[in-house]
Amino acid sequence: MKALTKKLVEAWGPPGYEHHVRAMIEEEVEGLCDEMRVDTLGNLICRVGEKTGSNKRIMIAAHMDEIGLMVSHIDRKGYLRFESLGGLFAPTLMGNRVLFENGTVGTLGFDDFWGNYSKALKNNEFYIDVSMGSDENGGNDVGDIKVGDPAVFLREFEERGSRWIAKSMDDRIGCVVAIEAMRKLKDSGKVAHEVYFVFTVQEEVGVRGATTSAFAIDPDIGIALDVTPAGDEIKTTATDTRLGKGAAVKIKDGGIVVPPEISAMMINLAEKNGIPYQREILRFGGTDAKAIHLTRSGVPSGVISVPCRYVHTVSETVDRADVEACVDLVAAIASTADLGL
Amino acid sequence: MDKDKLKEHLKTLTEMHGPSGHEKPIRDYLHSYWRDLVDDFDVDRLGNLIGIKRGSGPEPRKKIMLCAHMDEIAYMVKEVRDGFINLHSIWGADSRINLGKIVIVHANGRQIPGVVGAVPPHISQYKEGQDKYTPLDEQWVDVGMPAEEVEALVNVGDLVTMEAVLLELNGDRVAGKAMDDRASVASVTAALDYLQTRAHVWDVYAVASVQEEVGLRGAQTVAYHVHPHVAIAIDVTMAQQPGVSGDEYPKLGDSPVIDMGPNFHPALYDSIVEAAKRLELTAFEQVSPGRSGTDAWSIQISHEGIPTALLSIPVRNMHSTVETVSLKDVDRTGRVMGEFIAGLTADYLDTLQWKTEEKESAE
Repeated sequence: MKALTKKLVEAWGPPGYEHHVRAMIEEEVEGLCDEMRVDTLGNLICRVGEKTGSNKRIMIAAHMDEIGLMVSHIDRKGYLRFESLGGLFAPTLMGNRVLFENGTVGTLGFDDFWGNYSKALKNNEFYIDVSMGSDENGGNDVGDIKVGDPAVFLREFEERGSRWIAKSMDDRIGCVVAIEAMRKLKDSGKVAHEVYFVFTVQEEVGVRGATTSAFAIDPDIGIALDVTPAGDEIKTTATDTRLGKGAAVKIKDGGIVVPPEISAMMINLAEKNGIPYQREILRFGGTDAKAIHLTRSGVPSGVISVPCRYVHTVSETVDRADVEACVDLVAAIASTADLGL
Repeated sequence: MDKDKLKEHLKTLTEMHGPSGHEKPIRDYLHSYWRDLVDDFDVDRLGNLIGIKRGSGPEPRKKIMLCAHMDEIAYMVKEVRDGFINLHSIWGADSRINLGKIVIVHANGRQIPGVVGAVPPHISQYKEGQDKYTPLDEQWVDVGMPAEEVEALVNVGDLVTMEAVLLELNGDRVAGKAMDDRASVASVTAALDYLQTRAHVWDVYAVASVQEEVGLRGAQTVAYHVHPHVAIAIDVTMAQQPGVSGDEYPKLGDSPVIDMGPNFHPALYDSIVEAAKRLELTAFEQVSPGRSGTDAWSIQISHEGIPTALLSIPVRNMHSTVETVSLKDVDRTGRVMGEFIAGLTADYLDTLQWKTEEKESAE
């Protein structure tokens, strides 16, 4: 699981440009599902099990995209200005490095940094420096970088005890949970429902991949797998979740009020199977479940979250035990015939 | 609708507890209350209640949907500390009004009464006369139980709702919680009541929608599910009171209040004004220049687009436990909808045309 996590979090995949991540996941889940397809928007849809009668069609979504940047303008000196792809926050930028698809690496800089470092920064005051020192006109060479080229943070995976630290844990760790759950189901052979594992696109720019894939699948139940900002950072009051205390079962966030029977189903299964869990309410933010539950005539939906410190930075930090608990809970749902719903 | 009956109905509706996403008690009550008024029921997968009253026209009949939301603003348990409970606003709650209120903590199948308290004024940093009030994070619900018992009983995410008994004020006014938007739900009941004695050609889909307060979510799925030809949303609007201007808002008693703006079909608007005239009522025309913030906003863009209108019921003290309405407004709003529906012909949609210059000059 660690090798898979390292591979996926270090992959390049801003919103709308998930093809590298998708190729890796396709390779990984080949043989773990009964059917696989890619839809118009680029969602990877993998079916496990079949609809037989009274069982449920369950959609389980984890998004492949990560927050990124897109070059919006190259100024006369060869500095790249950018727009954000997803929730990019100014305090996380200065000095960080970004990676373009062609391998070009850039450094994030800030206009007149030494005169301004103590003030509140804005995204549009930053630029990307990709210079290699080869421009003879005294400016910066930009290679073949063009307006419209996307980039993501550049950072390696790191392990520190039971903690895993990387960029794009949001939401490659959700993808890992889905893949490992598929593996578990394959090994046990116990699949009680028609389960669609969907690796979605464009979550960070408005849950767009989940919107179309849920419409196509028309599931009975929807579940999003995502990270949630942990409540155990200093002075954090947004949530009560703690790293290492288990899978977070969503009660409510900015995108969904989870139907009580769905969260109760998850909690009952966690208790029955001895899976550590915690109850989660989050004031802001949303996940793919926001889109899934409003599809067609409505889809009762919930979220299983991996608590994560420093969300939307290069050091998104999760605990391995929580990831394992999430895998167990997803597998338990998929293999339990009577969900009480 | 009979005034006393309407008042009883509104009392039951508003005193029940049903926050966004947890509307079951209201749904169950309406399911039983509407039983004699409609022919059939449906519930979509988000929990919207749909009462279907069939029209007299030949099949396939056209469908009109009346949509009023049954959820209310409320809180969830955010934290339990030393036996006291801190709250998380589900959406739209005004935490300034909480202190001294009675709340109900819904935990473990029980309804536990509690009071909202805070540091007393003698030693509080928030003093009378200053522009500050005790923020939600510093308000704590006290259910009077030993800390261990509270810890054992109450979980993060449990619902906390306001307790408010309907108060009859002078005249035909009543004050209570959740008039937003159960006063409108009551107006849908009044419309169904009106249609018991009036023939109508179209099928009527009376909807009590869920999750309006958290983002018009129920209306989105129910509009897809019902796929009506025409829809009317009913919601509350600010009524005049000190600080709320008469330039923009109606008075209590001004109903029917009909909204105009890009969210609404102009020809449908005209038809409803006409229906009001047939009842010798003058419509208060309310301007809603953008996002109406009501179920109408979701409904309008469902499927290939749905001609949508909005009727508003004036309410004083919006988003408080003393939301004040006039029963006359509730009844009139219902009757205007009933009269509009009774007047719908099988080919009404053909008359629902955009105004063009040629047409106007031809007239």
